Amino acid sequence: MAIINQATKELQVKIVYYGPAMGGKTTNLVQVHDHVQTAAGNKGKLVSLATSSDRTLFFDFLPIEAMSIKGFKTKFQLYTVPGQVIYNTTRQLVLRGVDGIVFVADSQYEKMTENAESFQNLLDNLKSLRLNLEEIPYVLQYNKRDLPNAAPVEYMEFLLNNRDVQVPSFTSVAHKCEGVFESLNMITRLLLNKYINQNVPQYA
Amino acid sequence: MATLPQLFEEDIQQLDDVLREFLRSTDALTAMIIDKGGFLISYQGDSRQFDLTTIGALASGAYLANQTIANLVNEENFDSVYQQGENVSMFATNIDEQSLLTVIFKAQVGVGVVKYYANTAREQIAAQMRIAQERDPGGGLDLSVLNIADTSGLFKRKM
Repeated sequence: MAIINQATKELQVKIVYYGPAMGGKTTNLVQVHDHVQTAAGNKGKLVSLATSSDRTLFFDFLPIEAMSIKGFKTKFQLYTVPGQVIYNTTRQLVLRGVDGIVFVADSQYEKMTENAESFQNLLDNLKSLRLNLEEIPYVLQYNKRDLPNAAPVEYMEFLLNNRDVQVPSFTSVAHKCEGVFESLNMITRLLLNKYINQNVPQYA
Repeated sequence: MATLPQLFEEDIQQLDDVLREFLRSTDALTAMIIDKGGFLISYQGDSRQFDLTTIGALASGAYLANQTIANLVNEENFDSVYQQGENVSMFATNIDEQSLLTVIFKAQVGVGVVKYYANTAREQIAAQMRIAQERDPGGGLDLSVLNIADTSGLFKRKM
């Protein structure tokens, strides 16, 4: 859950990149880290807890301070989860306190089962944290569009964006930074607007 | 899931007073209050030689991983986690459902003294958190004060 500190005028939000193994979640963070425009010192280190074969073991973590909004410093914490099935407990831990989710799907035909399983796994893990996807803003990113065996976007929409409320979706080639910032800006917009539109009491 | 209460200046001041007193008593380097979701809530002590934002994220992950291990060995809770280094050590202990007290201290300072004073500090911090919670039990955070009309382009790609 986002934290707003009235004393220090800071807003902190947590965005988690979720999806099947080797789908491009870490690549998204690497691209954001390498290409984001920030004032000096506002971009933290990209921390990766990875195995020797570069698979994410615990999570990747990237803190970024974006522009100030109405005098509030906005600090974004971007996390990825490990995609491999065996690391489910870790995925649950990383989801704790999540404000927004970018689901990174692998566009290759043969990965469709893994995409669907990972999406179901997300729903299950949110449920275990007494959360549900209706309450948490999320966007879909269909990655690896440059591969010859990429499934049509309509097919991926049918597979993953077929719930009562359709969410924004983006095609991407994460290693070329295509679609990366579009997804990040949209999830940021959705999650901030969600709080703005909630009719919660005003504080002095 | 229960959320951290909204903290006002008076809350942060109280929390910082507790942390300052704790540092005085223990001679620790840095004391942090961390949300279990990975956010740094407040700290006192040295923030120049340590990247406290990243330490907060990693410490909360490590602490929660240890809680999961506790459950796997039929232990209700590993209340505290102590990581011993050659020069610097770290101690993390539970405050309440939402937050942790994490302390970085020189390895030559015994962990006993840190544990002892951490018990008092975490009770005082938990008490202040309860005050904040009871002020508005149902209240989460209110971003409407920000009045953001357009958030597009919040993150821009370098050309």
